[in-house]
Amino acid sequence: MDIFGNILLGFQVALEPMNLFFCFIGVLIGTLVGVLPGLGPVAAMSLLLPSTFHVSPVSAVIMLAGIYYGAMYGGSTTSILVNIPGEAASVVTCLEGYQMARKGRAGPALGMAAFGSFFAGTISIIGLMFLAPPLAEMALKFGPPEYFALMLLGLVILTFLAGGSMPKALLMAAFGLFLGLVGMDIMTATPRFTLGFFFLNDGVGLVPAVMGLFGISEVLLNVEAGLKQEVFKTKIKGLLPNLKDWKDSTWPIIRGSVIGFFLGILPGGGAVISSFVSYAVEKKVSPHPEKFGTGVIEGLAGPESANNAATGGAFIPLFTLGLPSNAVMAMLLGALIIYGMQPGPMLIQQHPDLFWGAVTSMYIGNIMLLVLNLPLIGLWVKILKIPYPVLFPLILLFCLIGVYSLNNNVAEIGLMLVFGGLGYLMKKFNYEAAPLVLALVLGPMMENALRQALIMSNGGAGIFFTRPISLVIVLVVITLLILPMLPWVKTKREVVSEMGEED
Amino acid sequence: MKNNDQRSSIFWFAVGLAIIFFSRKYGLGTLSVPGPGFLPFLAGVAITGLAILVFFQQYAGNVRGTFSALWAKTHWPKVLMVMGALVLYTLLFRIFGFLLDTFLLIAFLLRVMEPTPWVKCLIGALLFSGASYLIFELWLKAQLPTGFLGF
Repeated sequence: MDIFGNILLGFQVALEPMNLFFCFIGVLIGTLVGVLPGLGPVAAMSLLLPSTFHVSPVSAVIMLAGIYYGAMYGGSTTSILVNIPGEAASVVTCLEGYQMARKGRAGPALGMAAFGSFFAGTISIIGLMFLAPPLAEMALKFGPPEYFALMLLGLVILTFLAGGSMPKALLMAAFGLFLGLVGMDIMTATPRFTLGFFFLNDGVGLVPAVMGLFGISEVLLNVEAGLKQEVFKTKIKGLLPNLKDWKDSTWPIIRGSVIGFFLGILPGGGAVISSFVSYAVEKKVSPHPEKFGTGVIEGLAGPESANNAATGGAFIPLFTLGLPSNAVMAMLLGALIIYGMQPGPMLIQQHPDLFWGAVTSMYIGNIMLLVLNLPLIGLWVKILKIPYPVLFPLILLFCLIGVYSLNNNVAEIGLMLVFGGLGYLMKKFNYEAAPLVLALVLGPMMENALRQALIMSNGGAGIFFTRPISLVIVLVVITLLILPMLPWVKTKREVVSEMGEED
Repeated sequence: MKNNDQRSSIFWFAVGLAIIFFSRKYGLGTLSVPGPGFLPFLAGVAITGLAILVFFQQYAGNVRGTFSALWAKTHWPKVLMVMGALVLYTLLFRIFGFLLDTFLLIAFLLRVMEPTPWVKCLIGALLFSGASYLIFELWLKAQLPTGFLGF
């Protein structure tokens, strides 16, 4: 079937009333978690995962994907109105967006953020449609050594781009890998590191781990910091940007979309990195870079487009290689496995309805988001006014019920609390949770691939260096590990890390 | 010790050593037939090695200051109270049942988050626990535990 036939199939699937409903629920919840502090898309996806077990995998993936790109949209609202990024990817939006709001231009800022996001989301979906199928075919040539090398590369890129101390990020990846290996060994049926807990035979659950690391710990940190809440009081009027705004924003939106899409494909926080890169690019090409930071619409339109385009790009490694590029995609991968799918290069061929249905639903979801974000901004602002002392107990309650209803097992609530405490301490000591989660998901797959590769080569580690594709990947891994030791790269990474901390 | 990175690296060093020790017990196998402890062993070695690296690295982003400085000017007792309440909630979940346990937890959390009159906390807790019971148990059929009260 040609690509247009596939797109048609996708629309047929996505336009089914049930799928439209789940798409709507996904983007609605996504916008909500993007608006609310303390709950990100990863935690929201894990919270809703058990409720998707009764529906078809296509509807479930459509909803989970909707939460992801919906959160990117929603995150901009809090950045602009209260200078608090609802999402890490919206940090840059605060720089210009909040300044615009202070000048009484909150309406056009919100409007342009929504339009830019819509355009970028569309571009990235088109890219995903055309790039994913040929990439998946290429990936069919990959064997266990290539897969192992690729997963290693994914983890190393994530730690390289994470900012901050690379050894600390690598340490988290190694610990995540270890956690991924807890449970029954698939080859020998030996229970490993289960500490006598029967439920750990199935491994460390992704949902309790993610809810603890991203949900509980976030609430604890907010409680500790004191519950300050300040909402922009000026009335928002005139959401439509004027002609000059459009003229100033057209190219930043196009540039941001392209930057976001390609950086999104790379493993490791694509949306966050791409928004920073887009801001830097806009500042560089601007005829008036000195005005950046005072409420310049180009500095808002570019990064907002970039972080949305990156969400589309991030689906490419997942759908073509079965490899997640960030914690959200790791969550989606875990979901696909639970639904009995085999993520990898065959996914598009074996389940065309899932791939094309999910991709085209993103297009429909983008239109829904435009409708949700523009006329309903007043409603989101009202939600922002929910007092934190009421909001945080609710988030905790949702986490508790969400984890319990997964397997009706109290022990998993305990596991979530352990990860909640760990996540809280990790944030205090500046350890990143994303490499841990990615490695936790990749752990069993990496072990499988490594064992198969070693059995294939009769114990020769040389197999990773004699096959061309794996050799190239291993060389990139080695380069990325050595690069941060070079003085100029080290300084650059430290500067970026400090910027991140200040934000 | 100069910074908190060094303090935390000692913890990870110990974790790495423990993983190495126990992986050997599971059996490392050979390179041609790796055993169940093989990759955990490598992960343990990586954790130990990286912990040493973190201990010695000179890095601009080091978490400086004393251990207690991390909690200075924060509401850390609230964190302990919330965490303690969550642990207690988990332990009593099957005994008290979802409704009663959740009612008590929410009432406590509302009170701890911000000084609120007890009456308001109790009304809020009644509303939240009741609404969540309706949604999750009666509507979504989540099979929440009933406890000694039978609901």
